[in-house]
Amino acid sequence: MVSQKVTIKNPSGLHARPASILTQTAGKCKSDVIIIYGEKKIQAKSILNIMAAAIKSGSEIELQCSGETEEQDLKTMIELIESGLGE
Amino acid sequence: MEQIYVDKTASRGIAVAPVYLYQEPDLSPVGELVSEEQSAAELEKFNRARENVQKELEHLAQENEIFAAHLEIASDIVLKEGVEAKISGEKKNAQLALWETIEEFAAIFASMDDAYMKERGADVKDIGKRMMAELKGVKRPDLGRLETEVIVAARDLYPSDTVKLKSEFVKGIITEEGGVTSHVSIIAKSMNIPTLVGVRGILDKLTDGGTVCMDAENGVIVIEPDEAALAEYEEKKKACEKERAYLESLRSKPAVTKHGKRVFLCANVGNAEDIRHALAMNIDGVGLFRSELLYMDNTHFPTEEEQYQVYKEAAELIPQELTIRTLDIGGDKELPYFEFEKEENPFLGWRAIRISLDMKEMFKEQLRAILRASVYGHVRIMFPMIISLEELRDAKELVEECKRELDAEGISYDKNIETGMMIETPASVLLAEEFAKEADFFSIGTNDLTQYLLAVDRGNKKIAEKYDYFHPAVVRAIGKVIDAGHKENIKVGMCGEMAGDKKATPVLLELGLDEFSMSAGSIDYVRKQILGTGFF
Repeated sequence: MVSQKVTIKNPSGLHARPASILTQTAGKCKSDVIIIYGEKKIQAKSILNIMAAAIKSGSEIELQCSGETEEQDLKTMIELIESGLGE
Repeated sequence: MEQIYVDKTASRGIAVAPVYLYQEPDLSPVGELVSEEQSAAELEKFNRARENVQKELEHLAQENEIFAAHLEIASDIVLKEGVEAKISGEKKNAQLALWETIEEFAAIFASMDDAYMKERGADVKDIGKRMMAELKGVKRPDLGRLETEVIVAARDLYPSDTVKLKSEFVKGIITEEGGVTSHVSIIAKSMNIPTLVGVRGILDKLTDGGTVCMDAENGVIVIEPDEAALAEYEEKKKACEKERAYLESLRSKPAVTKHGKRVFLCANVGNAEDIRHALAMNIDGVGLFRSELLYMDNTHFPTEEEQYQVYKEAAELIPQELTIRTLDIGGDKELPYFEFEKEENPFLGWRAIRISLDMKEMFKEQLRAILRASVYGHVRIMFPMIISLEELRDAKELVEECKRELDAEGISYDKNIETGMMIETPASVLLAEEFAKEADFFSIGTNDLTQYLLAVDRGNKKIAEKYDYFHPAVVRAIGKVIDAGHKENIKVGMCGEMAGDKKATPVLLELGLDEFSMSAGSIDYVRKQILGTGFF
């Protein structure tokens, strides 16, 4: 398993469109992608899980990837979040 | 065969067609625990239902992006795993497992503070219903998918339903709830679909696909008609079409009563499309242009320029008067981009001119847009919900302020533009004499006036019968306002439902009303009534 911390920059946090883009990209990853937010453990491939977690702007999350392509997947996900998730 | 008599005709006409019962089927789960062997079959049932819903949504998503969001939720991995865990682990059948999982997610969203997130709870439930319908093998109705002529029967129809209505297939509408001023009534009237509303208990009497004759001229519904009744109604339908043709032939005649009084027959409109539609009926002007639609159907307060374009197009379409009512929001009308504080009594609250006078900059953008458009036709400005002379004076002063600004900027406008007011509060009736000295015209809004004078909420089903503009208090108020206006030589019009009710025409003529403004669907009927009235 590999992991890295990243801060959510989107002004209204992870909701609506950004959440959707994150889920779609995570869905393409072969490894399992988990977001640790405070005490919560969130399935990044689930739009329902992400939206229900209501991750606010400026929060730090930890991304964990585990699987054969974990290195590449983690890099992809971190870059996507840092780029602002299409916003 | 059974005949039912109805007194609430929302939109006239006659229809004979099979019934389309627009009713949500029972989607509550038939829950049970299953054995180890059965649970594999339940898993398969769920996954088949899920796949079918995904396919359906993929199809829908091509036309509407709302469904793209629904597709994401329907495909959600946690949702799938949640249901599967309840089936394999807790040995619940597919229906119960799905229901519980959906309820859990919906509850999470419903408990959030954010209004946007709360709405996602409704999305989750909607997807749950789609999957449940698949599991139970029942069909959910969809007005958008109609391909044959029907009469739609429903408890009530909401904006999300009526946007899908196609008049080529929907030949009639019958609802259990709602009044003649409800949403479905207004839409049906504008689309000329015969409609009867407030027909309690009708859904239990109708069967999906069974033939029904409906007469929305006299308020009669015939269920499962026999040969004779069918023939009779086909005949009536023909006669009704003939009557329509006769009404159309009257369109060339100006609205003059038998004893020679000329009145103005005008249309209530919301946009340019409505004006084009009304022009075909040879109208004498637009007595009410609802500017709020421009604000409601938007993502932001429309700018001066955006409004100017809309008013200009309208003014150019109609050579006669175009009465633009300034923003009438609040009450039951909200804006998607502006949060109104929750109020105990929204109809007695922060609405219409009260908002405009509090948000002066926003109001001035509208006034400037109207003034700029006034050079393209005969534009009049009308203020809603006025209760005091101060309000009227403040509003007029803002118009003057805008004029001075435009003068300074060298932009032209109609220097003689008239500013009038709606009479829709008891206060404005009692002060009509004073108002008549300072307003250039009156327009009586009977919908609000009736509800305020009688203290009867027009949306409340229990007291719907008490909402009556033939009540002597309302009729006397109208008479008083007309007299007050005439004493000062100003024109008095009416733009509420009553103006379009042909039963009210003789009374209103007798009271001396100068202008009748109504939805396009009523104009032909009221013209005929005016032409035929005159007792001395």
